[in-house]
Amino acid sequence: MVEQKLIQDFKTEPEKGKKKKKFLNGTLNWIITHIKFLLIPGYISEDLMERQFEYEKTKSQRKFITRFKSVLTLIGLVLLFVIISFAVFAPWLSPYDRYWLVTPQYGRYAPPSPEHLLGTGDQGFDILGRIIWGARTSLTVALPALFIAVAGGCVIGIVAAYYGGALDSILMRFVDIMLAFPGIILILVFITLWGRQLEYFILAYGILGIAGYSRIIRGSVLQAKNLPYIDAAKVAGAGNLRIMFRHILPNAFQPVIVAFTFDIGGIILSLAGLSFLGFSDESLIEWGYDISLSRAEFYDAPWAMLWPGFMIMMTVLAFMLVGDGLRDALDPRLKNL
Amino acid sequence: MTSFIKYILKRLLQMIPVLFGALTLVFILTKFFPYNPAIAYLPQSFSEEDLRNMERYLGLDQPIIIQYFIFLGNLFTGNWGRSLQISQGAEVWPLVMQKFPRTMEITILAMIIASFIGIKAGVISAKHRNKPQDTIVRGIALLGVSIPVFWLGMLMQYFLSYRLKQIGSPFFFPTMGFATAWYPVLEPITGFRLIDTLITGNLYYFIDYVQHLFLPVMALAFITIASVTRQTRSSMLEVLEQDYIRTARAKGCKEKDVIHTHALKNALIPTVTIIGLNIGALLGGAVLTETTFNLDGMGQLIVTAINRYDYYVLNACVFLIAIIFVVVNLIMDLLYAYLDPRIRY
Repeated sequence: MVEQKLIQDFKTEPEKGKKKKKFLNGTLNWIITHIKFLLIPGYISEDLMERQFEYEKTKSQRKFITRFKSVLTLIGLVLLFVIISFAVFAPWLSPYDRYWLVTPQYGRYAPPSPEHLLGTGDQGFDILGRIIWGARTSLTVALPALFIAVAGGCVIGIVAAYYGGALDSILMRFVDIMLAFPGIILILVFITLWGRQLEYFILAYGILGIAGYSRIIRGSVLQAKNLPYIDAAKVAGAGNLRIMFRHILPNAFQPVIVAFTFDIGGIILSLAGLSFLGFSDESLIEWGYDISLSRAEFYDAPWAMLWPGFMIMMTVLAFMLVGDGLRDALDPRLKNL
Repeated sequence: MTSFIKYILKRLLQMIPVLFGALTLVFILTKFFPYNPAIAYLPQSFSEEDLRNMERYLGLDQPIIIQYFIFLGNLFTGNWGRSLQISQGAEVWPLVMQKFPRTMEITILAMIIASFIGIKAGVISAKHRNKPQDTIVRGIALLGVSIPVFWLGMLMQYFLSYRLKQIGSPFFFPTMGFATAWYPVLEPITGFRLIDTLITGNLYYFIDYVQHLFLPVMALAFITIASVTRQTRSSMLEVLEQDYIRTARAKGCKEKDVIHTHALKNALIPTVTIIGLNIGALLGGAVLTETTFNLDGMGQLIVTAINRYDYYVLNACVFLIAIIFVVVNLIMDLLYAYLDPRIRY
């Protein structure tokens, strides 16, 4: 039944003249499906591009972006846009200069007022300014840390899965050990040993993330490893490194993209937790640190702890929503999740 | 049955490398701590020579490999060392054992509550797919993943105890601690306070403990409810499309039976795996929850130990946590056989 219908669809040319009334929608969809060609003019040689174009057109029937644009994902994208703007344009968006947000002033825990729209926190810091600057710190830690994790995880995961045998077992036992701890404890130990600087936070989260990512990559490489095109590459005489990083990796990378968006949220939460426990670089403006500062007076001044926590929640939520959307779009089988 | 025992033994043997690895990792890391453990064994004032003697006695002048084996030997003979900083000179084992049940209490309770609510919510969500109930459940689940547990705890403290008290409600939750401060402390039997009070039949204390534990356990459960719900929902949706569900409906089963007998048991296996893996997140969350609610459990002990370089305490705690993680995952493995009779060991 289904196959017959497919063949029918394939045989009958779509009638072109009738669908003109949805002109705007049609143009929009055309731009969406062809955006990669518009953005990268002539990115391969002309005749190749022709074939590539045909191939991509059929491939785009999977309608990545159509699946990606659900309401929840759009909310997530808008939130993400707001938060990234906070991080990038903090000096312009913040009502006070950074200097006034880190130097103690009069008026601790003042309620919201025209000068301080969300009130002031410990040592008279303006809360609105601090939560805008906090976005910068959180993203500065989370993104580079995840790049370290993904890079390291890719190498370890592929090597383990590709060579297999004893190397695989040893590497995976190591990963087991790393994953058997609550991550927060290992991070605490690292930070205590190295010092509480931004770079070390990034490094610690990066190292910890390697374990998780190598597990993910290993799983998908094991699936991709036995496919015919790998044999084809071997027959064509490709070296191990080439097969691993040019042939297997691009095909095994999809789960990583989804895990990436989820893990950014995880790192932001965990970083806030560390600051809350008192392990933070106190020269930085950080949401978790603000909460831990305002904990002393939070019955009398709940606004001081409310807004930084709200920002943490919104940031993580944004990444989760986008991650959900990405997963639905990338892997239709998991649509239900 | 023998194969079952064989399987358990095999799993226990598989635990050993992970536990050893955990110990080795902690040993290596703590070797970098800038604190001399020999000091803990000495009186307040000591001479340089005393220190050297004590170091020799403890084997700290040996090469690091030999120190590692001394460390392992001490571990297996039950010699866990003395606390260096937290309570100087005290044996580590009783100190840790005093706090360990407290953490386990909230972790296990949170795990059980999260599993029940999460599975229920997941089933509801899958049953009413793409309807308002589904959206609400998914929204709450997403919030649960993204809320910082300490912030949630503080909000609970503010609204459910402080504000309730302020507006004159007859009942409000206590904000902090394990028990009302002026109650005389009960003699521990198992260390798990809820069990202790039940054994001795001391209901008055039991209710007091439950009141104190309610907020932290709920805060901790909320962060794991989310992942349990999502997993249950997705595997329920997958199972509900199977042929045997259609058969069950066709032969006239009630919808309730279809969901709870035919579908749920088959859908639970991935959920059980997720619950087992969540124990790590729960223990990590317990550290934060204990600090928020001032529960004085193992999480707080770990943080203090790291902060003050008290590495014998840290070793003991980490070892216990690794054991918990492995044991919980073993239990989850054994649950598979109960859920799916096709799985035989």
